[in-house]
Amino acid sequence: MVNVVNFEEEFKERDASLPRETEIIIENLSVNFPDKDGGEPIVALSNVNLEIKQGEFISLLGPSGCGKTTLLRTIADLQEKSSGTISVRGLSPREIRLQKKYGIVFQSPVLYEWRSVRRNVCMPMELLGMPKKDRTKRVTKMLELVGLMEFGEKYPHELSGGMQQRVNIARALAIRPEILLMDEPFSALDEFTKEKLHEDLLRIWQRTNKTILFVTHNIQEAVFLSDRVVVLSPHPGRVSAIVDIDLPRPRPIQMKETQEFNALVSKVRNSFEGV
Amino acid sequence: MKKKRYLRWDKQSATTVLYPVIFGILLLILWQTQLLHKLLGADTFALPLPGRILRIIFDNGPTIIENIKATVMVAVGGLFFGSILGYLLGIIATVFPKWGAGGLSIASAISAVPIIAIAPILNNLTKDFSDVANVRSMFAKTIVVTITCTAAMSINAYRGLNELKPYSLDLMKSYAASKLTVFLKLRIPNSVPYIFVALRVSVPASIISALVSEYFAEFIIGVGRQIRENIVLAQYATAWAYIVVACAIGIIMYGILLAAEGALLKGRK
Amino acid sequence: MIQIKKILSSKYMVTLVWVLGLILIWELGATVIEGTKRSPENVLPHLHQILASVFTTNKVNGTQTAFQIVLSNGGITLLRAGIGFVIGAGLGFLLALIMNLFLPIEKILFPYLMMIQMIPILGMAPIVLAITKDINKSRIIIAAILTFYPVATNTLAGFKSVEKEKHELMYSLAASKFEIYRKLLIPSSLPYFFTGLKISAPMAITAAILVDTLQGGAGLGTVLSQSLKHATTIYIFWQIVFLSAIIGILSFYLMVLLEQAISPYKRKKKK
Repeated sequence: MVNVVNFEEEFKERDASLPRETEIIIENLSVNFPDKDGGEPIVALSNVNLEIKQGEFISLLGPSGCGKTTLLRTIADLQEKSSGTISVRGLSPREIRLQKKYGIVFQSPVLYEWRSVRRNVCMPMELLGMPKKDRTKRVTKMLELVGLMEFGEKYPHELSGGMQQRVNIARALAIRPEILLMDEPFSALDEFTKEKLHEDLLRIWQRTNKTILFVTHNIQEAVFLSDRVVVLSPHPGRVSAIVDIDLPRPRPIQMKETQEFNALVSKVRNSFEGV
Repeated sequence: MKKKRYLRWDKQSATTVLYPVIFGILLLILWQTQLLHKLLGADTFALPLPGRILRIIFDNGPTIIENIKATVMVAVGGLFFGSILGYLLGIIATVFPKWGAGGLSIASAISAVPIIAIAPILNNLTKDFSDVANVRSMFAKTIVVTITCTAAMSINAYRGLNELKPYSLDLMKSYAASKLTVFLKLRIPNSVPYIFVALRVSVPASIISALVSEYFAEFIIGVGRQIRENIVLAQYATAWAYIVVACAIGIIMYGILLAAEGALLKGRK
Repeated sequence: MIQIKKILSSKYMVTLVWVLGLILIWELGATVIEGTKRSPENVLPHLHQILASVFTTNKVNGTQTAFQIVLSNGGITLLRAGIGFVIGAGLGFLLALIMNLFLPIEKILFPYLMMIQMIPILGMAPIVLAITKDINKSRIIIAAILTFYPVATNTLAGFKSVEKEKHELMYSLAASKFEIYRKLLIPSSLPYFFTGLKISAPMAITAAILVDTLQGGAGLGTVLSQSLKHATTIYIFWQIVFLSAIIGILSFYLMVLLEQAISPYKRKKKK
C-alpha cells in the first residue's frame, strides 16, 4: 500500500537533470463503438501511438468527436479498446485501476452532496482501507494543497463551481496516484476562475511531480499548461500532430501575451486536419 | 430506417415482457391450485379461486355495471371538478404570488388530511341537497373526490405556471407582452406537463376516495360499497369480484391517462 | 412602522391569515347551519363547541370523557399504523435494493409495482380483514402495503438517478459492489426514500383508521363509526376529524424532521 502520509517523499523537488522514465506506452490503439442500429461500427480512435514520460504534463486537444475523451477513458479502463496495446509501467489499464494508481477528474465535479468537503476528499481513502488517523492528516494536507483549508466542513452546494473543482482535484490526489487523468475539468468555469485554477494546477503539478493527462478543446489552455500537446482530429479520431511546448517554467499568466506563446498557439491551430 | 429499431426483437426487450408475464401466470396457477392459500394460511372461502371470481363477474354483469357506473361517475366527476378548481387556484396563486403561495402551502397540508375525516362531514352537510338519497349521496361523494384532487392539481399547476425556462420570461418582457399574453403564450403551455404530473397522482387517488366515500354514503351503491357489504354478508367471492373490478377501473383509467399524456406531450422534453 | 410591515408581510403571517380565513369560513357556515337545522352539531358545530368538548370533564361512558376516549383509541390506531409503516418502509427499501441488485427480479416485479399504484388498495381493506380474521393484523398489513410501494418505487428511482460519473468514479477506484452501495447508492437514494415516506406516512394513518371502521373492538375508526351512528356523543366524531387531520399533517412533518436529522446537508440547503 502507498504511504499517503509521507509528505516529504511525495512533495520533494524533482532533480531536473535526471532523465525521465517512460510511463505510458500506447501502440496502434483503436477503439470502435458498435452502431446502435446494427450497422457499421463507428471508429472513435484509429491507430494511436503515444509515449508519455513520468512527470510530464500532456494535453489531449481537439474538437468534439476527435476521440480525446475516449483516449483518456481507455487509459482509465472506463472504455474497452478494440485493438492495440496500452501499458502503464508495464501494467494494463485494468491492473492500474485495480491497484488504484490513477486519480480521475471529470468535467462535472461529481461531489457527494451528502458529504462535507473533508469527507468527500476522504472517500477514496476509505475505499483503500486507510487508518482514520492517516486519512485525517492527508485530507488536511490535500485541502491545503488546493487552497481550501477553511472550507472543510462546508457542503458541496455551498461552494462555487471553481471551489468544487478544487475539491475534485484534492479527492483525485487523495490516494496518492501516480497519474492524474483530467477530462475537460475547467471547461464549465468562467475565464477568471479558470486562469486561477490553471496557475494552481501547475503549482500542484510541480509540487507533486505527477504525470498529468489533460483533455481539453481550448488551444490556449493546452499550450499554457502542457509540456506537449497531442492534437487529435476527427473522422476517424486520430493523432494528427504532437507539438512540444518549450516555454520556460514556472509560467506566469503574462506569458499568454508573449510572441512565443502565440506562435505556439498558431502552430497547434495549424496542425488540425479535416475540421 | 427508423422502423427497423422498433421491430428489432432483441433478448433484452423480450425478457422485459416475458418475465413479468410468466410470473403472473405462475401466480394465477398457484392461486387456482390452492398452493397460494397454503402459503397465506387462507381458505378458499375468504380467498376464492380465480375461476369462481370470473364466473361471478360474468353472471352478475348488469348489477356490476350499475355499480361501476356509480363509482366511475363519482371518480371522474370529482377528478374533473377538482382538477379545474385546482388549476384555477394555481392561476390565482400565480396572479397574487405572495398570498397565493401561502394558500397553496395550506392546500398541501390539507392533502395530508385523511379522507375518512372528510367523507362523513360532507355526508352530513349535503343532506338537504336533494330529496333523492342517491342524488345527494352522489353529490357528497363527488365533493370528497373533488377535494382530494384539488390539492394535487393546485400545487402542480402553480409549479407549472411558475417554473419557467430561464430567460423565457425576459424574452416575453422584451416583446412588451401583457400579463395575459404571458399567461396564454408562456405560462399555460409550460404547465401542461405538470398537469399530467398532478393527474398521475390524482387519478388513482380519485378512485380510492370514491371507494372510501362510498363506505360512508347514505345510499348503498358503488364498487367500494359492494366490497364492504358483501363482506359483511360473508359473500367473499362476490366481494372479490368487486375488488377485481375496482383494480380494473384503476388500471384502465391510468392507462387512458398515460395514452393521453403520450399523445399530448409528444415532441416535448 | 417598518417593523410592523415586515412582520405583516412575513411568510408565517400569510399562513396565519389563511388559517384565520378558513376558521372564519367555518364559523360563518356553522352560524348559518345553527339557524336552519334542528341538530346543528351533527352537520357543522362551532369550533368553540368542539374545543369545549375537548376540555369538558363530563364523562361520556361512565369512566372517560370524550377526549379521553379519542386519545386512548387514537393511541391504539397510531401504534398499529406505526408498526405497519415501519414494516412497509423496511420492506419497500429492501425490495428496491434487491430489484436494483438483480436485473431479472427488477424485470419481473417492476410492472407489478407500477400496477399497485393504480389499484385502490384501501378498497381491499375488508378482504384483508376477512383473510387474516384479525383486526390488528389487518391494520398493520394495510398500512404496510400502503407504505411499501411508494417507498419501493421512489427508492428504486433514487438508485437509478445516480449520475454516470459517480458510478465511474467508484469504478475508477475499483470499489467493490458493497462499497458502491454503502458509499454511493444508499446515501444518494436517501432523499428519494424520504419522498416515499412523506407520501406514505399520512396514507398509513388513513388506512389504519379506515380498517378500524370495518369492525368493532377499539381504534379511532371504531369510535368514529359509533359516534356517527349516535351511539355516543357526536363531538367524538369532530374531535377525531381534527385529531386525524393534525396527525396526518404532523406525520408528514415528522418525516421532514427525520430527514433533516439524518442528512445534515439538507438542513443547510434550506435557508
